[in-house]
Amino acid sequence: MGLFKFSRSRSLWMMHFCTGCGAIEMPPTMTSRYDMERFGIIPMATPRQSDLLLVTGYLTVKTLKRVVRSYEQMAEPKYVIAFGSCTMRGGMYWDSYNTVKELDLYIPVDIYINGCMPRPEAIIDAFIKLRDMIDKGEANAWKNYRDNLDWYKQNQAKVFDINKWSAKI
Amino acid sequence: MSLDVEESIKQDIDLRLKDIAKCEIQRERRLKLYTGKDRVIPVLGFLKSYGFIHLAAISCVDWLDDGEFEIVYNLWSYRDKAGILVKTRISRENPEIDTAIPIYEIAETYEREIHEMFGVNFPGNPNLTSLFLEDWNGPPPMRKDFDTRKYAAEKYGMRDLTEQLKIGMDKIKGVRDGDEIL
Ligand code: SF4
Repeated sequence: MGLFKFSRSRSLWMMHFCTGCGAIEMPPTMTSRYDMERFGIIPMATPRQSDLLLVTGYLTVKTLKRVVRSYEQMAEPKYVIAFGSCTMRGGMYWDSYNTVKELDLYIPVDIYINGCMPRPEAIIDAFIKLRDMIDKGEANAWKNYRDNLDWYKQNQAKVFDINKWSAKI
Repeated sequence: MSLDVEESIKQDIDLRLKDIAKCEIQRERRLKLYTGKDRVIPVLGFLKSYGFIHLAAISCVDWLDDGEFEIVYNLWSYRDKAGILVKTRISRENPEIDTAIPIYEIAETYEREIHEMFGVNFPGNPNLTSLFLEDWNGPPPMRKDFDTRKYAAEKYGMRDLTEQLKIGMDKIKGVRDGDEIL
């Protein structure tokens, strides 16, 4: 394990994109009860300063745009954790006309957390898994985004007008 | 004997709006008023001057079988502590009704939402742009003949995960039989 990987995996700055119901599990995870700071993870205010993006639930098309925009602003290497069944397969909004169903069509996801809503233990578990993945050099979803940009942009263009928002194909 | 609040309001309304509106008492401190599409603005104007200064919401009901939309203005009077619903019907073919902005400025946002969700046009409203549904390309989604399931399947089309599910189930079975997870 190199020095870079070691330091990166132990000082993750996190931006939690509080969409859906999941954000409510973040305060206990951040504060003294579960205290994620013992893993070197702290909340950060802007995408440009963060390494880790948490998407905490269902995404409407309008929100997805903002998520993509925030994700593209983050400096590499960057990691994404998605919460709950809504980000995986639409969850209870599977037939809604205005929520996207599978988040990894639009931005690359390193780890999905199961549940509706995942408990703080599950979130901490995901953080530890992510740390191990970074140590081993496996958390490479961000490279995937760079290599397959066209595919991601195509999928994004299906649900919103990408030209108004982010880098053109 | 003094009248109840709702009865005295009904009396006043019947006196003043006899020809253009029909008023009913729904229950204690709640009234309903039916009027024609072209009379809504004068009726709202009168009700505001009467004391119903708060426009709490405008909603829209899709009566598919009648081929009509019903626009409902939800008003409240702080003085009388009473609410009134002003209802009017417009045709579904050419849904259009004058904006209520000259009477209640707040109507702008409510009308914007109804425009987006039901496709009702409000001539006079300067800001009928999209509110929640950015870059929307389908029919107005709150109409009863909009098939949300079909639209979602077409637009967001989920991947077929049968194979992955089978692999997952095999793994679970393996764990049950005492094998190691791969
Ligand atoms: S997975 Fe459940 S808790 Fe999470 S956003 Fe969806 S409905 Fe809400």
